[in-house]
Amino acid sequence: MTDWRLCNLIDDRPADGVFRLHRAIFDDPAVFTLEMARIFEGGWVFLGLSSQAPDAHDFFTTQVGRVPVMVSRDGEGALGAFVNSCPHKGARIAQTWSGNARVHVCPYHSWTFDSAGRNKAIKWKKAGCYPQEFDGTSHDLAALPHFAEYRGFLFGSLVADVMPIEDYLGEASKLLDLVADQSEEGVELVPGRVTFTYDANWKLQLENCADAYHFTSAHPSYIRILEERQREASDAGVVRSVWENSDYWKEEAEGIGGGSFSFANGHVLNWGIFGVSDALPLYERAEALKAKFGEDKRNWMFNMRNLTIFPNLQIAENASSQLRVIRPIAPGKTEMRTWCIAPKGESARARQQRLRQYEDFFNPTGMATPDDTVSYENCQRGFAGKVDPWLQSYVRGATASRPSGNAFSEMLGMAPERSVLADSQLCDETLYQSYYRAWAQRMAGAFGE
Amino acid sequence: MITRPEAEDLLYREALLLDTGAWQEWLDLYDPDAEFWIPAWKDETTPTSDPASELSLVYYKGRRNLEDRVKRATSGLSVASTPRARCVHGVTNVIVSEAQDSAAQVFASFTVHRYDARAERSDLFYGRYEYQLRHDSGRWLIAAKKVILLNDVIPTVLDFYSI
Repeated sequence: MTDWRLCNLIDDRPADGVFRLHRAIFDDPAVFTLEMARIFEGGWVFLGLSSQAPDAHDFFTTQVGRVPVMVSRDGEGALGAFVNSCPHKGARIAQTWSGNARVHVCPYHSWTFDSAGRNKAIKWKKAGCYPQEFDGTSHDLAALPHFAEYRGFLFGSLVADVMPIEDYLGEASKLLDLVADQSEEGVELVPGRVTFTYDANWKLQLENCADAYHFTSAHPSYIRILEERQREASDAGVVRSVWENSDYWKEEAEGIGGGSFSFANGHVLNWGIFGVSDALPLYERAEALKAKFGEDKRNWMFNMRNLTIFPNLQIAENASSQLRVIRPIAPGKTEMRTWCIAPKGESARARQQRLRQYEDFFNPTGMATPDDTVSYENCQRGFAGKVDPWLQSYVRGATASRPSGNAFSEMLGMAPERSVLADSQLCDETLYQSYYRAWAQRMAGAFGE
Repeated sequence: MITRPEAEDLLYREALLLDTGAWQEWLDLYDPDAEFWIPAWKDETTPTSDPASELSLVYYKGRRNLEDRVKRATSGLSVASTPRARCVHGVTNVIVSEAQDSAAQVFASFTVHRYDARAERSDLFYGRYEYQLRHDSGRWLIAAKKVILLNDVIPTVLDFYSI
């Protein structure tokens, strides 16, 4: 094991204007193992939406780091999160993405559990000649030490020593409100899950979601298609894009077009002004949302917003609306589970518009995401070069970064730790610092310091 | 009415045009109103069935959208498309399931081997094709192509020419 120290991986000296990462943070196996233990299995992570298990005895499965987890709604309607592993021999109890089961019977030796995780039967118990001590042991599924719901977003922790979820989300919870409030019925995942992998580190996805700097560099082929489609807007046969209504990302745009917010615990937002346009499927609710929440909050719902809730949840509302769950597999391999997230009860027309915009931009079979993931892989290959190991991607925007919020965060009554207001070419990269400061807090002591 | 050898010839021809990058000839196989659809999966065993209300991997109505995909893949502006991966389609199990004078439904199975020279990585995709064909001016055109991709955990990227 390489003898890393935190200060050798993250060189964070604000007074000197220095923030840089050692490339090993992305490709060292020992760092990865500690990340799994300290970050994914050592604190709050996103599990799913409550709407994935809407009715009694519904369940869905996911992963927390390396650990299989089942989220189940019991007969009384209460949700619970359990390690998806039989206490008898360790086999996974639920093998499907989701389902409905009053009882879960382990397929290996038929130990049986109800939808609240309680053991209901041990096969041939009486004939089993168990020692007396066995009856004093719980045979229930192991519940996650912490499980919490915020506005339909479910979070869990495999360790007991965590702050309350409200404190963990902090002011960033107001950005989840912007998603949840788009419909009085809440949000849902549109049927159809898309999963892809890429051969690079999970933190490249963490960064890319917040990366305003890459858009015109990585996606010119997509941008050119959009420009052509915009010229043929009368042709209903092509997919209309939300980007066409906004020019904040274009090189020639002037004035404040968006910016970034950084929050405690590693949550960040990269945002841009879109305007209230019928190019967005939410347009059918524009007046109703204004009446309910006021113009400022309504307008924020229409803004381009790329939100990361550290470490594994991203909600991107830009070309369409995507919920992503990041699942690290190895230092150089990551799995992304992705869904179209949408307000419940929207019209069929709006839903169809949302889907078509989604597929073209977000899918690994679309016209944008592959240009990101292939770039991550190019980075991962490049990280092997450690002649100068320090990456220079974390100080762009430094002199524009302000402590606390600005007029735009005030519209939401939101108090971020730092904010940047940007024109189209500023493209703040200091917001990544928030990820790595949270990372460093979670990893403190892990390297034997 | 289409015969199986005629249907096989059309499907094999499409595969060859995709494998060799003969984009305009490939597009010419499609009806201007053609549907091109790769469903996503709802659960372990069920692909999505309604592109209006469920997510697809790809859904286009109109050949014009396929022209966009060709433009992007050949633009030189997409790092994921340059250099283009080497692909070979194997098309098998061709069945003409419905045949009328000017319309036909054809099922087939496919495997695509893809070698991405940049990543030095080989991938394999497999599944089923479902074609709706339309006879027009003495030739058969593709009016709809539905691709059921069975191994849908996608390694980084999957473009129209490698499925």
